[in-house]
Amino acid sequence: MKTFEARHWTFLGLLVVVAGAMILNIKLDMRVSPYTQRLYDCIDSLPDGSVLIVSFDHEASSLPEIRPIAQSVLRHTFKKGHKLIGVSLLAEGTLIGYRLMQETAREYGRVYGVDYVYLGFRPQYIAAILAMGESIGTTYPLDYLGRPYGQFELTRSVKNYDDVAAVLSIADGSLTTHWIEYGQARYGVRVLGAVTAAMVTTYDPYLSSGQMYAMMGGLRGAAEYEKLLAVSGGGARGMLAQSSAHLYIILLIALGNILYFASRKKGRGA
Amino acid sequence: MDAGTLIAGILTLAILTFLYRDNPIYKMAEYLLIGVSIGYILVVAWTNTLMAILFEPLFSGRNFWLIIPFALGLLMWGRFHDKTSSLSRIPIAFMIGSGAGVAIPAMLYGRTLKQMSATVMPLTDASGVPDISGLVVIVGLISTLAYFYFGREHKGTFGKAATIGTFFLMIFFGTTFGYTVMSRMSTLIGRMEFLLTDFFKLTN
Amino acid sequence: MGRKLPLFICFIFGLVMFAQYFSAHPTARALNQAILDYWQIVFAFTLIVGVFSYLKNNMTEMSRNKDTVYRAVGLLGFLSMPVFALIWGIKADTPFMWTFENVQAPMQSTVFALLAFFVASASFRGFRARSFPAAVLLISALLMLLSRSNIGGFFSDGLPQVADWIRNYPSMAARRAILIGIGLGSLTTSLRVIVGIERTWLGGDK
Repeated sequence: MKTFEARHWTFLGLLVVVAGAMILNIKLDMRVSPYTQRLYDCIDSLPDGSVLIVSFDHEASSLPEIRPIAQSVLRHTFKKGHKLIGVSLLAEGTLIGYRLMQETAREYGRVYGVDYVYLGFRPQYIAAILAMGESIGTTYPLDYLGRPYGQFELTRSVKNYDDVAAVLSIADGSLTTHWIEYGQARYGVRVLGAVTAAMVTTYDPYLSSGQMYAMMGGLRGAAEYEKLLAVSGGGARGMLAQSSAHLYIILLIALGNILYFASRKKGRGA
Repeated sequence: MDAGTLIAGILTLAILTFLYRDNPIYKMAEYLLIGVSIGYILVVAWTNTLMAILFEPLFSGRNFWLIIPFALGLLMWGRFHDKTSSLSRIPIAFMIGSGAGVAIPAMLYGRTLKQMSATVMPLTDASGVPDISGLVVIVGLISTLAYFYFGREHKGTFGKAATIGTFFLMIFFGTTFGYTVMSRMSTLIGRMEFLLTDFFKLTN
Repeated sequence: MGRKLPLFICFIFGLVMFAQYFSAHPTARALNQAILDYWQIVFAFTLIVGVFSYLKNNMTEMSRNKDTVYRAVGLLGFLSMPVFALIWGIKADTPFMWTFENVQAPMQSTVFALLAFFVASASFRGFRARSFPAAVLLISALLMLLSRSNIGGFFSDGLPQVADWIRNYPSMAARRAILIGIGLGSLTTSLRVIVGIERTWLGGDK
């Protein structure tokens, strides 16, 4: 058996391209897509102090992509002075959500209980979404650290989705679908999405139908959001590597096809 | 370098060794990952859920109605023994039934009807100029549905519609593939950023 | 346990949860809330069933001397989490959080990052324009990748508009058809479950 096969060369090539681009560390300017702009405008146009539910509907596996996405939107909401109630519909998103909210709130000097509260995880996402439509305090009698829901200044005035301006689902899978089909369709809550690039096309029909109000996707979306916010973050830092990796994949596809058609021609000629 | 970064860096490299081939270092990391992940789920399910919405309100809040889901939950544990495993059908029936009940209006209204009504778009813009985009959506939707309808043989006009549907599907798969590549690369970039900046300290 | 009682329970709760959708009466709302809360509690118990299955499976395999060292490492990791949580709690900066952030999350995301390499390999070896539909797939993928790269000129101005149009209309139409298909399928399956035609969830014959 050969120790170094063709696939190893493609792996090595990708590693060199990504690492090289990251070491070069050149910041790229980019056009902000209408999708990101719409999400930004939506959050920006909400009256200051609006209450938003931020749902961390992702796992640890997608954290490198989710972190810059979540950070950029959280920064915007805290900067605008919106009040956030954090929840998680996946067990793994629980700690990540807690940490991300804590870190971003600290950047803007926001106070736990007044500007944000983190409620944590509930299993069975459909039941959790529907139950919060009836009463958030009954669904989450205690916050993430075991303190009563009614204890905080922020949560005392929030009974259910009627008191919430929007739900922002930060997702790496199809959980936002449930926010739309259960939360939005049943209780009329406005749903916003900040999702990984792989999930973008899944949500396009909901965006087109208006069931999802706005959506930002992927590391590129995070970079665009950072540009709108005029802050530096993980999205913009990764853009040269992202573009280089795309070009590398395009090159591999082209090379694979050239070799394929050449071999077919050769086969016909023989 | 702090201990956390050191451990995270070593474990990241251990997982990356799989790129060469399956090996004991990778396997060790893989088993550790599975163990820690399951331990994590146990803790979160216990502290953040069962304590919060069952034991605390039941024992401290004296909400005795909660004996019902408690009993249903215990019946679920009947699965641990062959003799009692059929008892778990009761909580499963409760969950399946409730799930099916809430799914009907959601699937009908939240998904099917809403998506259908969104397809009916004006075929001209405000100034009366024909808008090809709306037509593309209608043709795409009908032809793709035709492709997925297997109750009739894909022949004649129906077959042609189904063939058009395959092209729309290919466009969708291509778009999704493109975005999936972006997603995978973003994850890799995130890990590389950790390795280069925090672990090897090659970049700032 | 026979099949009649589970089927009856399934029917009743299916009907109740369907009917409550159309009612704003306080009793219906309270009933809805109670059932949804119970649902979550029962689901948490099922998560623990999964945890114990993992434990049981590992013990069985270890008693057969199969991958003993690896499984012991896995079990050590498994036990460490509840022990840390029990002693120090689950707040920020506790050993529980530390283990999640420095052991679990980096490994899990690196496993996911491996996919980037396999995507690269598959792009070279399998992504060929063998037929006209395959060429359509390939071209739309290339357009998406180019449109979301920072190259400059037409690629950063005109191409994103073309790519966005493809995403918003033809691609979205196909995805919408799939959604509607799944929606209708889920709808009929739910109805079949409630009325007892679909019984596979009951498991074996007994």
